Amino acid sequence: MKIRNMRHLAAIPAGLVVWATSAVAMAAPKAWEAPHDASEHGHNIDWLINITNLFSAVLFAIMCFIMISAFIKHGKKHSAEYDTGDGKNAVMMAMAISAVIFVIVDGNLFVNSTKDVFGTFWNFEKVDKDPQTLKVEVQGRQWMWQMRLAGKDGKFNTSDDALSDHELVVPVNTPVLLQLASPDVIHTFALPHFRIKQDAMPGMINLMWFQGKEEGEFPIVCVQNCGANHYQMAGTLKVVSKEAFDEWVELKVRDSEAVWDEKDAEAHWGWAWKKI
Amino acid sequence: MVELQPIHAPPTSFISKYIWSYDHKVIAKQFLWAGLIFLALGGALAYLIRWQWAYPGEPVPLLGGLLFPSNGGAMTPTAYNSTFTMHGLIMIFWAITPIMIGAFGNFCIPLQIGARDMAFPLLNTLSFWIFVVSQLMILASFVVPMGAAGAAWTTYAPLSTNVGMPGAGQSLVVGAIFVTGIATIMGGVNYVTTVIRMRAPGMTYFRMPLTVWGLWLTAILNVLFVPVLGSAGLLLLMDRMFGTQFFVSGSSAVNGGGDPLLFQHLFWIFGHPEVYILILPAWGFVSDLVSFFARKPAYWYKGSVYAMIAVSVLSAVVYGHHMFVTGMSPLLGQTFMIFTLFISVPAEILFLNWLHTIWKGSIRFEVPMLYALGTIFVFGIGGLTGLPLGTIATDLQLHDTMWVVGHFHLTMGSAALLGSLAALAFWFPKMFGRMMDPTLGKIHFWITFLGLNGVFIGQLIAGFAGQPRWFYDPYHYEFLKHLQPLNTAVSHIAFVLIAGQVVFVINFFKSVFAGKKAEQNPWNVGTLEWTIPSPSPVHNFDTIPVVHHGPHEFSHPEYMKKLGRDFVYQTEEIPAGDTSEGGGATDSGEAPAAQSA
Repeated sequence: MKIRNMRHLAAIPAGLVVWATSAVAMAAPKAWEAPHDASEHGHNIDWLINITNLFSAVLFAIMCFIMISAFIKHGKKHSAEYDTGDGKNAVMMAMAISAVIFVIVDGNLFVNSTKDVFGTFWNFEKVDKDPQTLKVEVQGRQWMWQMRLAGKDGKFNTSDDALSDHELVVPVNTPVLLQLASPDVIHTFALPHFRIKQDAMPGMINLMWFQGKEEGEFPIVCVQNCGANHYQMAGTLKVVSKEAFDEWVELKVRDSEAVWDEKDAEAHWGWAWKKI
Repeated sequence: MVELQPIHAPPTSFISKYIWSYDHKVIAKQFLWAGLIFLALGGALAYLIRWQWAYPGEPVPLLGGLLFPSNGGAMTPTAYNSTFTMHGLIMIFWAITPIMIGAFGNFCIPLQIGARDMAFPLLNTLSFWIFVVSQLMILASFVVPMGAAGAAWTTYAPLSTNVGMPGAGQSLVVGAIFVTGIATIMGGVNYVTTVIRMRAPGMTYFRMPLTVWGLWLTAILNVLFVPVLGSAGLLLLMDRMFGTQFFVSGSSAVNGGGDPLLFQHLFWIFGHPEVYILILPAWGFVSDLVSFFARKPAYWYKGSVYAMIAVSVLSAVVYGHHMFVTGMSPLLGQTFMIFTLFISVPAEILFLNWLHTIWKGSIRFEVPMLYALGTIFVFGIGGLTGLPLGTIATDLQLHDTMWVVGHFHLTMGSAALLGSLAALAFWFPKMFGRMMDPTLGKIHFWITFLGLNGVFIGQLIAGFAGQPRWFYDPYHYEFLKHLQPLNTAVSHIAFVLIAGQVVFVINFFKSVFAGKKAEQNPWNVGTLEWTIPSPSPVHNFDTIPVVHHGPHEFSHPEYMKKLGRDFVYQTEEIPAGDTSEGGGATDSGEAPAAQSA
């Protein structure tokens, strides 16, 4: 079997690609979407990811267009043009194209990422000072998430803490600041619907904050491999109304006061809120 | 130079010829075989992973009964963790590295710079056999109690210490990484020295094929950064075996306590250059092959060289982008982010040069060229999808998702694999003295190229939709349940891709033993290895060649008129004499049969 014309042969893979793409699109219509954004600030990250992917798609399409044109026009029958490409103009042109792409695509990423990170996502000082902010200590361990709210005295590791396993309840439209730690291996506290994640690291206290814009239940996921049951290290983030939240805290505080045992060191895994 | 490289009598005994050989070409083939066997092993593990994502917890056909008899042929979460860990480690350290650097580094460097062998032939032999020891350690890790390593390929402490992985398998694997590191450093020292000291007269740095540039820069990075990995591995072993606490902290440390973050710094200061260690040789192969098969000089050769050097230098100062969510200081994160973004400039230069090289060429779609063009395609997608992973804000969402998995499988997986296949198809005649079957080659190319794209673009989509990596059962989560049809479809593409490798195996064995006899210069290319017979004699060159040209003198109008063919051997002296000034290329069709230079 001798393949004479690459162009005819290329129709087979091209057809296969179209078929496979449409099969996947039909099988999984919602697979092309990012998770629903339930956070106040997540849209900044979505915008930056989407615009960068759009730039990438345009650049890649241009590359494919040039390659395919070359395949069609400059095949075996075309006589090659001797061009070493190290003339001054050619080099200046290559540098200029690279510089323009760099300034637009990478520049946009740099400027907006810097703005988002320092202005919002890692601007912990501002959130810490905000009297509205709900402060929570989170401990990830093999294989569960444990939450601790300070209660009325505003101090952690005391008898009036609100404790809960697997479940984090927070009020809507309120900044929530977490301090994360781990007693065993590294875990990562991820909120896919809030576009944010942070490691819970043994020996360190890490920070993370978010603000829910709507009520609802959202998954808490551990995304750093942490052993056999890593995939089951799930939790639920419940974003509720201010009233429902106060009610929930009251209930939890009553629970933990009832079982408070001064000597049970294991139960007092919290820490004095780390200064920011 | 001649007396430095004497011609030895060829070895006669079986052992000295095939087992304990000092010949760089034999060692190259040994690395090739060793790498291909482990590539198959890594592929089998990939099959297990893909099965699990399509049909979680269901018995695995073909291999399940053998591997997981106690669980009815289905994977357990522990077995799954070992599977993805070993898949990653095997593919990186024991499949791609030996094929790309061990086989083609050994084969191409002396032949392309005009040397009779490596600078240190004994070191070369030792490098291979130490590498084999590490492979045996990997195989042993599968059969010890509690199974092989399961702390992911990144081996993050404290999970990789006794806190998370008390079994002997993890120790064996960390030990194997250390041992293969020794082999890599030995090979690296050899390559670096050989390129500096053994180049033929006239073979200036800027006359070296870009393949040699890629392999040389890779060797330099290996020599600089593999020792860091070795030290991290050694400290980890001490934590595991002698009760030290370099990487154990928190309540899991009985007293005092080290820093788990230290391990990540040590790992990634090696780990990021490693990404370029695996792609630089592929860039070199591709840069040469697009020129060879478009019958045009490599466009802005020096630009490609500078770009590869720039990437090698930058690779050392960007590693922090793997650690944005570890609690890194924002200012430090910002610094790593800027350097990461800078890498896109040399990458753009390389892409522009490749496109310019094929533009207005006379493209021959031979099998090596198909693989090379496929490499450009997958590296294009892989590179561009890395942009939102290199900046902090976007990484907050995409970090540790399948987006990352798709991205690095397209760059250091698919691009490195297709680049290696391009190199194998191209140098096969010189290695084995026979041609590979082009029809089987084209069938294998299309299966592999489409398969790789289907699988890893599918992973990018799943990651964009929020699916984390490292999940035994992603559908444990409500918000990921709708991704099962996508993952199942992608798994089926992966099964076809893996099964399709049979075509390669058939082609490889058929060609090694019964392929068409190769001519001296089947591709009509002017680099030094094509001036000697196929397969190359043990001493490579009867006389050390003298080099007069760069490696890519194609379709030069004046030379075409004089020589009647469109390429010039690097060793050829073009006689001065009457030439018609400004004569353009008249015909760049088939070059006449190659002559001995």
